[in-house]
Amino acid sequence: MNHWMFKCKEVTRMVSESLDRKLPLYQRIGVRIHLLMCKFCSRFKKQLLFLRETIRLHVERGKDTELSTKLPPEARERIRKSIQNNSFKPK
Amino acid sequence: MGNRKTYNPKEWVEQYGDYLYGFALARVQDPSIAEDIVQETFLAALHSLKNFKGRSSERTWLTGILKHKIVDYYRKKAKEQPVDDIEYHLETLDEIFDENGQWKVKPAKWAADPQKLYEEREFMKVLHNCLSELSSRLSSAFILREMIGESTEEICKVLNISATNLWVMLYRARMYLRRCLEINWFATDIVEDA
Repeated sequence: MNHWMFKCKEVTRMVSESLDRKLPLYQRIGVRIHLLMCKFCSRFKKQLLFLRETIRLHVERGKDTELSTKLPPEARERIRKSIQNNSFKPK
Repeated sequence: MGNRKTYNPKEWVEQYGDYLYGFALARVQDPSIAEDIVQETFLAALHSLKNFKGRSSERTWLTGILKHKIVDYYRKKAKEQPVDDIEYHLETLDEIFDENGQWKVKPAKWAADPQKLYEEREFMKVLHNCLSELSSRLSSAFILREMIGESTEEICKVLNISATNLWVMLYRARMYLRRCLEINWFATDIVEDA
């Protein structure tokens, strides 16, 4: 099964690249046509976008949810002291 | 002029410690490294107190410094491993595609919603495990791009690589992670396609 000019392997590479840069026109068109006809590559693209979104939500909002982590007490103390020591340095 | 914002470094740890630590930990995955980065952030902030114009909130200002420190961490890490095995995950591609470049292991259907999934501790644990299996450079590239949201230009500078090289690395990282998550998390939801 050959979907227009690109093979699935090439399409996955270009789909990934499209998350990082604007693809050249012929690639954009080729990928779009391929995706219309290939449900696995189209699913692959959805999954990459899905991963991006899940990770973004995790790093941006995770801290406001139950995932939130507390700075351990020892580290808290150590950091507090180092701020204190550095604050009192003569200028 | 106006209300010059006051800052009180003595309160920083109490006020922002947990927030900054959580921010760092989500992006470096190592508690002791995250602690060190938070400490460096506060010290750097102390040294540049006079640069704090009060245009942004204290928290935003500290977060900006923290982000720089996290990127610096990856920069140093990349320098410590001069030649890395970016070829490392080529076999994933060979397992997934046949010699004609067609799917051999087809992507399965995932039944999940990012809005719910990101809150699931277990999922993020699996994701971090998958990430830790990537070679160090690939995971740095992926984290800088997807967790820190750096531009590709900036990542190329940080890792000292070309753009083409970065695209290849991100592609391999994504291919590997997608497959790893499919096996270790989505496997139960997989619906076989006829």
